Amino acid sequence: MSSLIRIAGVIALAPTALAVLALFAMMVMTFFDVVLRSTINTPIEAATELTRIMMAVVVFATLPVISARNDHIAVDLMDGYFKPAAARLRDAAIALICGAMLWWPAERVVVLAKRAESYGDVTEYLAIPQHYIAWFVAVFTYLTMAALIVRGLILIVEPRALEAAAPDGPAPEGRDD
Amino acid sequence: MIEALIGFGAVLVLVLLRMPIAFAMGLVGMVGYMHLNSFRGAVSMVARLIIDTAQNYGLSVVPLFILMGLFVNKGGLSRELYQVSFAFLGHLRGGLAMATICACAGFSAICGSSLATAATMSKVAMPQMRKYGYDDALSTASIAAGGTLGILIPPSVILVIYGLLTETSIGKLFIAGIIPGLIGVLFYLGAVFFTVARKPGSGPAGERTPWPERWAAVRGVAAVLLLFFLVIGGLYGALNFWPINLAFSPTEAAGMGAMGAFLIALARRSLSWRDTWQVLKEAAFTTATLFTVLIGAWVFSNFVNLAGLPEGLREMVTAYAVQPWVVMLFILAIYIALGCVFESLSMLLLTVPIFFPLVTGPVAEGGLGFDPVWFGIIVVVVTEISLITPPVGLNVFVLKGVVPDVTTGTIFRGVTPFWIADIFRLALLVLVPWLVMVLPNTM
Repeated sequence: MSSLIRIAGVIALAPTALAVLALFAMMVMTFFDVVLRSTINTPIEAATELTRIMMAVVVFATLPVISARNDHIAVDLMDGYFKPAAARLRDAAIALICGAMLWWPAERVVVLAKRAESYGDVTEYLAIPQHYIAWFVAVFTYLTMAALIVRGLILIVEPRALEAAAPDGPAPEGRDD
Repeated sequence: MIEALIGFGAVLVLVLLRMPIAFAMGLVGMVGYMHLNSFRGAVSMVARLIIDTAQNYGLSVVPLFILMGLFVNKGGLSRELYQVSFAFLGHLRGGLAMATICACAGFSAICGSSLATAATMSKVAMPQMRKYGYDDALSTASIAAGGTLGILIPPSVILVIYGLLTETSIGKLFIAGIIPGLIGVLFYLGAVFFTVARKPGSGPAGERTPWPERWAAVRGVAAVLLLFFLVIGGLYGALNFWPINLAFSPTEAAGMGAMGAFLIALARRSLSWRDTWQVLKEAAFTTATLFTVLIGAWVFSNFVNLAGLPEGLREMVTAYAVQPWVVMLFILAIYIALGCVFESLSMLLLTVPIFFPLVTGPVAEGGLGFDPVWFGIIVVVVTEISLITPPVGLNVFVLKGVVPDVTTGTIFRGVTPFWIADIFRLALLVLVPWLVMVLPNTM
């Protein structure tokens, strides 16, 4: 089981790399947009729509990964009151509920993506079809759901496998407050 | 109205059961909306929010400002900031603790997170203060308190979240944070002064640094200071040098900051490929968690509004004919009480959807008529206080993680004068809103 989880970790590198590239591109593009606009008055006109697309990529490509790693912001105030076995079942139940609740919105996102496809709307400057983004969001919402449910099941069936393949290092530093 | 209160209770229970806050708010919001409207309506609302938030241009400010902080940090800024502050303040009694406060403020000007500021500065400042024989209570407390400035002095992740949640101008919020942040620094310096006046042995003076060395230390941080003034100056619209006019939107300011920090780190050869990957990955992950939390908060907020909670609160205020400032005091008391147990972001997300419409609504409709920017700053200051309030002041626990041999009791004891300084600052900002509004009003 733990080798399977390790393989999942390797597969997760792909969407992570996609997000990292999108974020780097967003930084470089924003910089040149401002510099070009301020100095020779020629902004990158497609910057806004590209930023929107890159944002969707940064966020949704990483959502399944952080869900699988349990990196979501949670309050651990009551942790001392749960025995380890109870805590494990609690975490399993929570992962399963979180995954399950995504089912209906995910289904609806697919409907919205299909609708966008039938309208055939494109972005203003680069004429990128809007439904590409909607489909990307839909697919990754389903993957997030799958990641949460698999995590919940592993916590019930073989919790030690998750500990063996624990996330690398502590939670991100620069987050929330 | 009763539905909203039940919903609020349900979120609290789920959150305490360790359900991620985003999912707790999303689940309760969705079920509640379903109850008041329809299954289809609720699911559509959530799906629409997922698709629209994914492509939210305003949200791109989050990863870019996080990137800026992470890149600058890789360049070793925290050590240099401390050296500068030490060079100018180290010879005073309690000077190292004062230097810590100033270095924290400088770091906050690049980093938008209080926990990261406390964690980073503790690694630099703590060994120094130990070397000079500072009392553990004073040294840990000055870092824990100084770190809270991270979310007030721009850029600030919490202010961005508040701005997105309430559709308040992020640029104005950032600019509004400057004066209250500086007041915070002054009051904290006062708290150090008070501590060493009462107990001179707690913070002995260090040696005086000669002027040439002081200037050398300033040169070390010059590039980053320049970057800060470029970013904030551009945001304020003050950098108009014909023919070049630098006026940024928040996203553009963040992009300039991130790229600038990246270039500075490159120039100093303090950035490997591996570091770059790590920094980008961390920023992307953090963005995704914040984004999830925002969707959850919006779903919950839609439900609360549908349930008529804001109107309910307004009617209550009108019915009892209470003065706006009495209500405000009551709200602040609730915040300080919640701050004792809740982590800052969770507190903001849970309370803003409930209080914002009441506090900022027009007086004619039973609102209190306060300015959204002012309320944002006040909320952040209260949140800062919660970071050093027992029993779960998070910054105190960050310190505890770095210096395990100091008890939390000792840190909290040292924090007391800083906490009192914060309460004074809060009172000042509530009584003199001009201090918050003077800069953003000129934008």
